[in-house]
Amino acid sequence: MDATRYADGRAAITRNATVEFAADRLTFSVGEAHHAWTCADLRRADDGAGRVILKRKPDTGERLYLSEADGDRLKLAAPALFGPRAYGVEGRATVLGVAGAAWSLAAVFLLGVPLAAAPIAERMPTRIRTQISDISWSQVELFADYCDDSDEAAHILNDVAYRMMAASDVAMRDDIWITIVDAPFPNAFALPDNSILVTDDLIAMSEHPDELTGVIAHEIAHIEHNHVMKNIVRSVGAGVFFDVVVGGAGAGQMVAIASVNLAGLRYSRGDETDADERGLDYLDAAGVDAAGLARLFERFQVEAQAQAGDAGEIPTMLSSHPATAERAAAARARARTGLSPSMTDAEWQVVRRACGSALLHQEEPAPVAPAAPDTPQAPPIQGAKPEQLEGGAKPGAATPAGHGAAGED
Amino acid sequence: MTVEAAPTNSFTHSGKFFNVLGLALKNAALTVLTLTLYRFWARTAMRRRLWSRASAMGDPLEYTGSALELFRGFLIALPTFFLPAMFVFYVAPLVMDPVTAFWLAAGFYLVAVPLMAAARYLMRRYQLARTRWRGIRFGLAGGAASFAWASFGWTILQTLSLGWYTPVARMNRAKMIWENTRFGDQPFEFIDDGEPLAKGLWGPFALGWFAAPIAYFGAFIIMFMIAAMLFGTGALPVSEQIPPEYGVVVVVAAIALVLVLMVLLWAPYNAAAMNRIASLISIDGARFKLRAKTFSLFFVSLAGWLITIFSLGLLAPMAGFLQVRYVLNRLEIVGTPKFAEIGQSIMDEGRAGEGLGDAFDLDMGVGVV
Repeated sequence: MDATRYADGRAAITRNATVEFAADRLTFSVGEAHHAWTCADLRRADDGAGRVILKRKPDTGERLYLSEADGDRLKLAAPALFGPRAYGVEGRATVLGVAGAAWSLAAVFLLGVPLAAAPIAERMPTRIRTQISDISWSQVELFADYCDDSDEAAHILNDVAYRMMAASDVAMRDDIWITIVDAPFPNAFALPDNSILVTDDLIAMSEHPDELTGVIAHEIAHIEHNHVMKNIVRSVGAGVFFDVVVGGAGAGQMVAIASVNLAGLRYSRGDETDADERGLDYLDAAGVDAAGLARLFERFQVEAQAQAGDAGEIPTMLSSHPATAERAAAARARARTGLSPSMTDAEWQVVRRACGSALLHQEEPAPVAPAAPDTPQAPPIQGAKPEQLEGGAKPGAATPAGHGAAGED
Repeated sequence: MTVEAAPTNSFTHSGKFFNVLGLALKNAALTVLTLTLYRFWARTAMRRRLWSRASAMGDPLEYTGSALELFRGFLIALPTFFLPAMFVFYVAPLVMDPVTAFWLAAGFYLVAVPLMAAARYLMRRYQLARTRWRGIRFGLAGGAASFAWASFGWTILQTLSLGWYTPVARMNRAKMIWENTRFGDQPFEFIDDGEPLAKGLWGPFALGWFAAPIAYFGAFIIMFMIAAMLFGTGALPVSEQIPPEYGVVVVVAAIALVLVLMVLLWAPYNAAAMNRIASLISIDGARFKLRAKTFSLFFVSLAGWLITIFSLGLLAPMAGFLQVRYVLNRLEIVGTPKFAEIGQSIMDEGRAGEGLGDAFDLDMGVGVV
């Protein structure tokens, strides 16, 4: 069967052919018929067994199945036909072009969207912000319970927060409201509707009121700088990018879902550093010692190392947060001595008992130094949301309706 | 001399595992490097490789599609599918009330079922239109919408029957596709042999249907028992608190066992269905015979799954290669079509295809539907 054969593209049969090769063309005879093909117009359609098969461009359906000997003669006569391009393999320029296009698109989405995130977030209509808030609150309900006994503690935290915000002239201080929730991890969250969630485990982990106040200051900074909405815009932008370029399996969709999911809402490291710095400014202005926040960061690091074993922390480059040690050092650098605690001993003990927090440590909360007489008293909480405080089914904490969570810290 | 006589056993696939693996690895690397945009070129190169190694009566198949056509199809799918999808999944949840957004998403999923069937049909049409043998094009006639709605109906029946309609649905789909398949100007037929369509499929299907859930739960129970025995005999250190890694190992092992058992338990049904479908296909009076066997199909399928899973999907084309090679090396033709009378296809080649197929990732990059 190793004869040169020709298929005319009009019927599914082949006929034996006799071929002659010249430098730029080949001629062949099939019975009485004679054909002349110019090499420049030919492409290869070889099988995988080393047989050379020629076709014309544009494709007429004709095929010339060369015998092994004729294939060898063609190699000598028209070596250009044996380059990869003649077999339809894309050139290096194509591959580089595709790579360039892909990374350019990535640059537009992954660099451009974050740059555009701030103006987009600032112009986000209230209706959409409320919508996102509702989604976020439904996420909060998956891991957090509302405490019946944290009314007083929440008021105390809001007093402290308002005092800080007033000292730093935070514009939306009347809109920010802190809620204590029962959740199985120590953390605090800023939410799209300017709410802040503080978990009972965070309260339990705090050994001094200034530690908790430091975290609250950090969350207020997130809200003041609109980090929550910016982060959502960034996440959706990344999701759209993945769906557009990374076709198929809906990886982008997963990112989008995560964008309104608390687990996926992590601030960029830049936002974290920004919130750290601004939060320390609040503490300075309000006369709260930043050493408290430093101690809490250090304790977080000890716990993280204990959990991670020898592996230690996630490398800073891979983390969405700055390294805890660096954050602790930054806070330590702003520590001041001789300041009164941000809460009185009585207030601190009330806070520690919220949601049964103190029970976690199974010890009575340590007394703190009494507040200095000149400690400024917080004004009435103009930003308090009566509907939350009087909210029927779950007194003592914000009700979920109409509120949104967005930021995990 | 007219080369027309064909031996009965006349299909082969000469693809070598490591040859195809080399291309799959190169494609995977470039796909990652280009944030998956290279996938159109990768798919084209892989199809060209797989087609060229497949031969019928001594002459190879040829894939004539180009990556730019696939890319064009993707660009067409962008505004027609991706933009509505993005609105439904990204924008609607933010700007619409939750109930409306939910129903919109639910509606989208509902539409996606027939849309996926249509995409699969169009993808097959594109592939056939770009496949030639002795220069003659294959083709797929019929409307994608007809197939989509019929397929949608069969899917509903499959659901309502708790899966028991599946053998009939599979044969119906095969019948609709093969009756519309053309080689040149010659249509394939899906013959009526006087027997029920799903003849011989019910026993193997029942085995899978009853045994699969038992195997599913059994695998987890077995793995947990093995873990308990290992801890009990002191083969593994027992501390007061068992490290979570051990739990993960047990779950992963159980999932692996489930995968093996699922492939094994469904292999008789899959082999029977493939053989039955092949036996009913005819072209110009010639019939086909496939000799798929349970255990050989099991090993080929399992190898494909393992390669796909361990390469995180990047080497999924290898699974397609193994399947195609398996089928072609076990396929026989009974009788000989009159090839001299089969002329060139007059069906439109189309200029772009598979955009939706790519959107749904129907072939997982395998290249063969």
